[in-house]
Amino acid sequence: MNTPGPGRIVYTEEQIQTRLREVAGEINRDYAGKKLVIVSVLKGSIYFLADLTRQLTMPLSIDFLSIAASPSSANHGSGIHFTRNLDINLKDRHVLLVEDVIGTGLTLGYVIQHLADAGPASFKICTLLDNPAGRILTIKIDYRCFTMPDMFLVGYGLDYKEEYRNLPYIAEYHRH
Amino acid sequence: MLITVSRETGSLGKEITDLLALKLDLPVITRDLVMNQWFPEIADKHELHMLSESPRYFLNESSQGITYAAYLENLLKEYVVQHSAIIFGLGAQIIFARQPGALHVKIMASPQVRSKRIMKNLNMGERDAERFLELTDRKHRRYIATIYERDWADPTLYHLILNTDHISAEDGAELLAFMARDLQIGSKMQAAAENDREARPVVFKHPSEEEFAKILDMHDIKWEYEPRTFPIEWDTEGNVIQAFAPDFYLPHFNTYIELTTMEQKYVSHKKKKVKMLQKLYPDININIVFKHEFYQLAERFGLRKGEDD
Repeated sequence: MNTPGPGRIVYTEEQIQTRLREVAGEINRDYAGKKLVIVSVLKGSIYFLADLTRQLTMPLSIDFLSIAASPSSANHGSGIHFTRNLDINLKDRHVLLVEDVIGTGLTLGYVIQHLADAGPASFKICTLLDNPAGRILTIKIDYRCFTMPDMFLVGYGLDYKEEYRNLPYIAEYHRH
Repeated sequence: MLITVSRETGSLGKEITDLLALKLDLPVITRDLVMNQWFPEIADKHELHMLSESPRYFLNESSQGITYAAYLENLLKEYVVQHSAIIFGLGAQIIFARQPGALHVKIMASPQVRSKRIMKNLNMGERDAERFLELTDRKHRRYIATIYERDWADPTLYHLILNTDHISAEDGAELLAFMARDLQIGSKMQAAAENDREARPVVFKHPSEEEFAKILDMHDIKWEYEPRTFPIEWDTEGNVIQAFAPDFYLPHFNTYIELTTMEQKYVSHKKKKVKMLQKLYPDININIVFKHEFYQLAERFGLRKGEDD
């Protein structure tokens, strides 16, 4: 049995930055000559967002959403709600949603429906880690850096009980 | 109520439509009305002339930045949203092919009967009448073929084709009025049944399905419970011997969900069914939610505790 805590490194700082530059290149090509609004969901994507946007060459704005899940409201309608909404009006804007991890897609589905209501001119999704094997909703992911291995991960924004987000790499985490 | 009437010249189509409009108290939208009242809003004298002469001109871009055909289609759709109406010609049977509750009618007659009617009404000789019919039929056919790339004579464009060889205009109108009223009552009953179905609480076959529905509700994700059954296996005579009804359909994400909280040995049977469905219906998106995934979600949202431990 492993000691609880971060284990082996799954993606090094260098691997992350190399892959990130490749994905940024794709985004730069696709949005050449356009203005972009980057929307990110706090907090797991902060480092990814910061590094990615510094590789992007088009004029862009950044805004954040924050979501909370409240189990206590399970029997009283929606258990997911926004604790922070956008400041930027997305109407007729090109929007890129930047996520840290996409798993079941349920939370992403909630966000997508919210953003679609704002009437953007276009909408795409970029994720640091994608776990298509666990997907419940069918959602097109436009840009992905890595496919997620079947393990719990921390670092580069990902946490275990709010810790380890500041690790510059992504590591396996042993909970037991 | 929407009735579209397509007619062959000399088939009593115009007479039947006028009588039908009186019986049902409905306005009739005709080509004349469109040319005299709608198109002058966007077309000058020359353009109006071209529209009256050439179906191909309908595909030119108008001052509105869309084709004349699209402009007409938009106006017809806007009108029909607010009013009941009979639309006479104009390709309405194609524009409104999917309109719920619409009745699409074609009125025709044999060439001999049509010819006799034209000879009488227009005081023409037989050969002139035949030639006249040939030209008008060609015009009708060309309009539908040019704008909608459909065959005007295709019987599947219509719900009812009325042969007036042995039917008077009055009887034809009465028959159509009866059908239209019946269809309206039918669609009202259908709408009431659908409302009733929506209002009725869903009866889930398994408690885990109810919990999964709650998880979807928490995410504001619309769902339908077992809305469709897919045949997946047939015997040699074509009878369905195995079918599969996925537990949920999520319309906003065009995704079917099969939930399984069964033991692993039964899961492979479900997986096989899902694979068969994907092979037979490649455009259908279906995902399986397995036991451990479901329990993780249920625990996360406080719906159950530690059953997977």
